[in-house]
Amino acid sequence: MRTSRNLIYKRILGEVEKEVQLHPNYADLQNQFALLLMVKGEMEKARDHFLEALRLNPKYREAILNLGFLYLEMRRWKEAEEIFLPEAKQYPKDGFIHHVLGILYLRAGKQKEAAAQIYKSIRYHPFYRDYYKKKGVWRKGMIHLDQKAERALKEIHLNFHYAQFQNFIGLYLAQKGKFTQAIHELRKAARLKPDEFIFHANLGTVHTYRGAYLKAIQEFQKALKIDPCYGMGYANLSYVYGLMCRTREALRCMKKAVRMSPQHADLHYNLALLYSDRKRYEEAAFELKRALRINPNYLFARINLGVLYEDQKRWKEARREYRKILQITPDDEHIRKRLERIS
Amino acid sequence: MLKEDFVIQSNIRRMLIRTSIDCSRIDFGTVKGVVYIRGIFQISNPPADGDEVKTVHLTIHALYSLEKKVKSIPGVVDVNFQFFNWRKERGHWVPVDVREKEGEDENKPESNL
Repeated sequence: MRTSRNLIYKRILGEVEKEVQLHPNYADLQNQFALLLMVKGEMEKARDHFLEALRLNPKYREAILNLGFLYLEMRRWKEAEEIFLPEAKQYPKDGFIHHVLGILYLRAGKQKEAAAQIYKSIRYHPFYRDYYKKKGVWRKGMIHLDQKAERALKEIHLNFHYAQFQNFIGLYLAQKGKFTQAIHELRKAARLKPDEFIFHANLGTVHTYRGAYLKAIQEFQKALKIDPCYGMGYANLSYVYGLMCRTREALRCMKKAVRMSPQHADLHYNLALLYSDRKRYEEAAFELKRALRINPNYLFARINLGVLYEDQKRWKEARREYRKILQITPDDEHIRKRLERIS
Repeated sequence: MLKEDFVIQSNIRRMLIRTSIDCSRIDFGTVKGVVYIRGIFQISNPPADGDEVKTVHLTIHALYSLEKKVKSIPGVVDVNFQFFNWRKERGHWVPVDVREKEGEDENKPESNL
């Protein structure tokens, strides 16, 4: 495999292998290691590690899909089908899964089934309509699977796991603080699979680390265009606006993030900060209480709520919150002083 | 004019991720410019040879560096560290026996990074 010649990939493979030996019960490590092995061409070994990842966490979707692609690559059509068919049933509107099933059937010589799956992918995702049009498979509302189209499509499924691989390498480099190289790898991932929101979201995150805020905003917006329900995308966008001191936009995005992911206590906390900064105290208190309903031990939400009550001269409520905080952190001198002042 | 808490909070998030700190067990909050950082403090890249003395030395360095970086964020008026495994005594960072304090960590919310 050409990538195995690349020093950086070899080093990462070595480091991940060591981590797997240290923490064999981490499903994500097993999945990452298997992905690296797969790209290196060590298919059987990769299979063992994907299976180990799934033994540790049977619902680990990324590992399930990666194993499916491995079987596809190994021309084990039946095992691949056993993975992708239930996925298509569980996510009937996931155009990509239908696309993969189409390729699988095409490679297995089942033209009729392939056409049915390709039709579904076109129906559920506009990206694939354009894609198949470009490849000459979708013409005048009909699917045409001639030899030329087949040749063009056969190798395309590889993009998925290469994209996953590039994404992993990108994130790995970002963790090591090598942001420029990380962006290079993540861009490759996004080019290989442009409809994958997480690649754009990761690019946005790394641009944020680097301080390239405008580029970060662009990438988060791309991610949100692909998946408008991606709550954390709005939250990340809000943080970028925060870094740029554009708190009006930050508030707008954080509101959306909370609407999309109401179960995240931290998002309510951040929304409360934005309201509090604008002196919208009632709304801030409401969000802090929501955060505390989700996680009653959310210490910072309680501190902010206590201070908010104090600012509003609601001494009794402020004292109640401060006492609860001191039960959790008896050494907190800031809170002790605040409590003494209003007692 | 004081910087807004959300702006400070966003800066801390970015700063923490860019440092050599293992952020997975750290949580933070901001109240009127006072920053609270809480959890288990560990460096993300301990020496490969497992040398404990070196690890402690690097961790202390990371703690001072964190303190300096947080204080340099515009609008931050104070920092309150509440680490279960490190405490500042008379201006010096000292390790704390985690076993005696770890039970308290049950109160930690999900990491907000």
